[in-house]
Amino acid sequence: MIFGMVDNALLSLVKVAIPASTVVVLCALGVMLAERVGVLNLGQEGLIGIGAVYAVIAATDWGVGSPWISMLVGMVAAATAGAIFAVVVVVFRANQILTGLALAIGGIGLSNQLGVNRNGTPIRTLFAEINPGGRFTSNAFLETFFFHDPIVYIAYILLPAAFWFLLFRTRHGMNMKAVGENPASADAAGVNVTWARIGYSVAGASLAGAGGAYMVLTFTPMWAPDIARGRGWIALAVVIFGAWRPFRVVAGALLYGAMISLGMTAQARNWNLPFLGPRDLSFFLSMIPYLVTIVAILIPAGAARFGRRVRSTSAPGGLAVPYSREER
Amino acid sequence: MRSFRLERQLDLDPRRAALYRVAGALCALVLGALVLVVTGRNPAWILWQALDAIFGRQRGIEGVVLRAIPILMTALAVALSLRMRIWNIGSDGQFLAGAFAAVGVGINLDAPGWVMLLAMAAAGTLAGAVWILIPALARAYWGVNEIITTLLLNFVAVQLCAWAALGFWRDEGAWAIQSTEAIKDTLPKIPGTESLTIALLFPLVIAGALWWVFRSTRAGYEIDMIGGNPKAAAFAGINVPRRVVAVMLVTGAIAGLGGMIHLAGSPGAQQLNSGFSAQYGLSGFIVAAIAGGSFLGLVVGGFLIAGMFFSGLVLQTRGLSVYIILALYGIILIGVAVGEMAARYRLVRAESEVAARRST
Repeated sequence: MIFGMVDNALLSLVKVAIPASTVVVLCALGVMLAERVGVLNLGQEGLIGIGAVYAVIAATDWGVGSPWISMLVGMVAAATAGAIFAVVVVVFRANQILTGLALAIGGIGLSNQLGVNRNGTPIRTLFAEINPGGRFTSNAFLETFFFHDPIVYIAYILLPAAFWFLLFRTRHGMNMKAVGENPASADAAGVNVTWARIGYSVAGASLAGAGGAYMVLTFTPMWAPDIARGRGWIALAVVIFGAWRPFRVVAGALLYGAMISLGMTAQARNWNLPFLGPRDLSFFLSMIPYLVTIVAILIPAGAARFGRRVRSTSAPGGLAVPYSREER
Repeated sequence: MRSFRLERQLDLDPRRAALYRVAGALCALVLGALVLVVTGRNPAWILWQALDAIFGRQRGIEGVVLRAIPILMTALAVALSLRMRIWNIGSDGQFLAGAFAAVGVGINLDAPGWVMLLAMAAAGTLAGAVWILIPALARAYWGVNEIITTLLLNFVAVQLCAWAALGFWRDEGAWAIQSTEAIKDTLPKIPGTESLTIALLFPLVIAGALWWVFRSTRAGYEIDMIGGNPKAAAFAGINVPRRVVAVMLVTGAIAGLGGMIHLAGSPGAQQLNSGFSAQYGLSGFIVAAIAGGSFLGLVVGGFLIAGMFFSGLVLQTRGLSVYIILALYGIILIGVAVGEMAARYRLVRAESEVAARRST
């Protein structure tokens, strides 16, 4: 059996990496959508927090029994914040970088404030893993990939496939890309630039909210201050690494989860290295996801620089540039 | 028929822009106050408590000034990069890296006091510059987004300092908060004050120096030129990537030096622990955003935001969470962004076409 040759340690690493990355996958797919129509939303960190805290409020204070509804509440809350952002940057044409950072800072503050009395309250209505049963349980390899909650399958397969189809196989997707690359010509061709940008900003924000909700409804599963811990920024980086293509973005996000999972495994198994004791190792490994992400976003630029033939890895031409008809 | 329409202005008067940014921030604060009213808090009471926290106690004003120093240093770092349209969002990380290096020198070296202080300052400055080196090179030569790289390094710096405090430089005797050992040599006090040291002079001198650089030197002019239009600057013979790297390294160095002077100049901050930087970089960023490119406006804004920050800390002991300050920061920034945009437009009375034709 080929499966038997794959080391069990590696499999358990992957088993943890998949749910650990789900937050980043969801958030990064949302970032990708908004950036494809030319909107750069740096506020992901805040949106994850808002989505998470409202999911917690729904699950605990309101006593919502279904995690799906709690997640929906988180998504709506994040989408509302995203709508405010979209109006400010698309209609008022304010600086996207500044407004995005405002959303990141304000969102963290707001979510932490709302979460003050909810620190550490365990959440009971969680997404349960799907047990496919039968022969799946007998095989470590299959077990690694097929025992997850439904959100994992949605984030890793359903959404990227849908977005791939949307972007590369439909007229609407062509229009989206045109709005992101060159809004003036999209406008001339009859595409409503304003509504495309607002719509996909809001959709992207709701996905970040879904990511935050997933954290508290499955991964942690409880509220803690500064819940995003850089995942929003990592999602933004992963989109660059993934060259704004759905499945590459997912692959990039999985890299992050692998690093997180490495740290967790090292801690759980009390790894001992010659120069680093277990405690030092865990500090060291906690830096690795951020460092690996930085390296990852250098890769496309570096590859382009050193003359490797790569498919387009550059950002949409109109990214973060406000559009107004009078000034084209 | 008289109707009004918005007209975009081609050249922007910096004073008008500054006025609009401040107005935007103030409108945002009013909006924030309304939100507080809606959520059942009394903003007038909060404002009164805040003013009381600063002016009602003897140490209040000195407390504000002590917070203003790290905020101003990180704000200077951000503001300098903004002159070039570059966003160094990692000033908090560079600040921590500077403090980290300074602690390393301070607890491992033994020399006369002034030698120690010079060595620590050099180490802090260098560490801040090193911390931004990769983002600077990547931005200048490969065009890699500096916002994300500098920001991600903040998280690395936080982890590094936590590691130092709990691991390799841990002070075994510390009991309340786990921290590194404390440095022994501190900056000299300003006579007549209770807690202020000459650390206060650093941001003021650097702000003055930068103001002079941009007013009357060629380097400042070239930086502004790159900020205005990098292609035109390159065409005029400026080596843009090299300038970008140089400026970014200087911004890192300023923030790193900020970490060192906070370590050696703020009472009770002589060791690294989890609370060493209360996200000063964040406050510094707000200050730089409000001030735009003006270094003198930055000093004024720095003290204002430090006042807000300090009163937030005091209010925390009176039952208000510090997170509200963060939320207010976000609202203020949106106000600044909208104000900045609004300054570019002017409401003009558009005469009808017939009237316009008749008048000519």
